[in-house]
Amino acid sequence: MPDILCCYKWVADEAYIRSGSGGDLDLSMADYKISDYDKNAIEEAVLLAEQHGGTAAVITVGLPDDTKGIKDALSRGPEKAYFINDPAFVDLEPAQTASLLAAAIASPIPYDIIICGEGSSDLYAQQVGPRLAEKLGIPCLCYVQKVELNGSELIAHRKSDEGLEVVKVSLPVLLTVVPDINNPRLPGLRDTLAAGKKPVVEFTAEDLPSIDTAALATTATKAATIKRNSRLFDADAAGIEELVQELKNSGAIA
Amino acid sequence: MTGVWILAENLETGRELITIGRTLADNIKSDLTVITWQSELSQEYIAYGADKVLLLPALPQDQPLQSYIPVIAEQARQDMPEIFLLTSSLLGKEMAARIAGQLNAGLGSECTALRWIESEAALEMDRLFYGGAAVQSIRCSHAPRMATVAPRSYSPASRQEDKRGTIDELPAPQPSPVKLLERNARSQAAGDISEAKVVVCIGRGFMKQDDLDLARQLAEALGGEIACTRPISQDMGWLPEDLCIGLSAKKVKPDLYIGLGVSGQIQHLTGIRDARIIVAVNQDASAPIFAAADYGIVGDLYEVVPRLMQALSK
Ligand SMILES: Cc1cc2nc3c(=O)[nH]c(=O)nc-3n(C[C@H](O)[C@H](O)[C@H](O)COP(=O)(O)OP(=O)(O)OC[C@H]3O[C@@H](n4cnc5c(N)ncnc54)[C@H](O)[C@@H]3O)c2cc1C
Ligand SMILES: Nc1ncnc2c1ncn2[C@@H]1O[C@H](COP(=O)(O)O)[C@@H](O)[C@H]1O
Repeated sequence: MPDILCCYKWVADEAYIRSGSGGDLDLSMADYKISDYDKNAIEEAVLLAEQHGGTAAVITVGLPDDTKGIKDALSRGPEKAYFINDPAFVDLEPAQTASLLAAAIASPIPYDIIICGEGSSDLYAQQVGPRLAEKLGIPCLCYVQKVELNGSELIAHRKSDEGLEVVKVSLPVLLTVVPDINNPRLPGLRDTLAAGKKPVVEFTAEDLPSIDTAALATTATKAATIKRNSRLFDADAAGIEELVQELKNSGAIA
Repeated sequence: MTGVWILAENLETGRELITIGRTLADNIKSDLTVITWQSELSQEYIAYGADKVLLLPALPQDQPLQSYIPVIAEQARQDMPEIFLLTSSLLGKEMAARIAGQLNAGLGSECTALRWIESEAALEMDRLFYGGAAVQSIRCSHAPRMATVAPRSYSPASRQEDKRGTIDELPAPQPSPVKLLERNARSQAAGDISEAKVVVCIGRGFMKQDDLDLARQLAEALGGEIACTRPISQDMGWLPEDLCIGLSAKKVKPDLYIGLGVSGQIQHLTGIRDARIIVAVNQDASAPIFAAADYGIVGDLYEVVPRLMQALSK
């Protein structure tokens, strides 16, 4: 009966990003969400726990305010949440996030399988999962699109640059999953209510070894939203002929 | 301390890494080392500009390429390269993150440009984040400064006939706890969308796989290639992945891009930023692709495409 731990990140929704004066990144309008592919990671943890009679829990590193994310994550099926939070955890780099996760997990939190998303929606660094596996000294399988679990043996189908690889490993293991692995469920009202009653274990900076100083310094951030002069044409034959003429005039087609 | 290391997975991306690796090695007045597991390419990498090649021994059949990670990390721990570059393929990204994890190294993922900042002895790296809605520059000033480099960010190095270098063998890795059971090559797309002048992109607005012929015919009429969004290749499996455009796929720069039933989320738009003209066909007037397009038609692609074919044949 495997204990499955899923790492998710609570992120600003990129759909609300605006370009501020001077082209800087304006996040003031942003709503927050569970990083897109982490929804697949949570779903896979819950599915595996359901199929094999194990437990599914989530773990996240964030700011003390990020409790909405905890509730959202728990409404998707896990039984328990581990919330590593501190006001100082602003703009952590992947190495720091992985160290915090590793320290909390070593405290200890039981696990047989750790599941991460392929990459976070904001940084998309694709580092936290593999770095965490190395910190814990456990095998790591990335870009997994299908998992079969037989007792303590796991078979994974993972994407490779050439196509697909089928690999076998004994637990414990860390997986990063791609979104085609499953279709995350949509939590209903009942799930949301139930989520509020599930246990949340908190860790603050004082409970954990101090984080490594950042290895990376950010020297510039700029919005790179794409905006063009969209000119609309009618969908009828006349409108479309006009568009084709315009494309010819602009040299885009011969 | 040793200079600049690159891990070359194949000649194509390896030559791109040599180009930027060579520049950085010259910046720090040091030499360039290429790590490879393809013995037949060792001399090639020297001819393309490596001063030294570290050759990994061949692996047994049941060992995945990731088995090399501990050997590379250990060698890096001993030699402490100033800079260590890999390509941002799936394998390269995983290897880089795990090696960086073992060495506690700073790593920039999927960088599009790298610069040496002499005054701080820092490697500055440019990369996208927030799905491509923003760009960041990050600096790393402690060895090994690591980066994965997006394919095609640098042109491939050219051959120098008189280039000399040394080849050293690295030790064989311990057997990996991960056993490879099967390896299946994915079907490759016929055309190359990164070079196409015209790209017709298929989005989730298509209802079934048979309907893709509509897009194929349009692409043919325009002398272009078809491409797709990530759900079409990944979730539906209707087209091979090398036809997918976007942040986690290919970037294209055609003269003309036509998106059919594409909503235009930023992760997709990031891949068409450099298209000269963007045309969008979508039945939802509020789809984000319209703001990013030069020309748009709000309508059902199943009606619009046949009319477009007709207008083109005139
Ligand atoms: C980290 C990360 C990386 C990603 N990387 C990529 C990437 O590299 N490439 C990529 O493409 N995506 C990527 N995505 C996914 C991306 O966010 C979008 O989900 C995806 O691009 C949407 O594809 P789509 O436009 O085909 O589908 P949808 O968003 O479902 O849009 C379908 C559109 O079709 C329209 N439509 C429906 N029927 C018709 C009709 N009959 N006629 C006309 N229009 C119709 C609808 O109005 C809708 O706008 C990534 C996401 C994340 C989180
Ligand atoms: N702050 C965080 N808390 C918990 N898990 C995280 C956090 N950041 C990243 N992860 C996990 O690591 C994966 C990769 O993130 P990244 O390296 O930022 O692309 C995500 O999909 C999550 O599963």
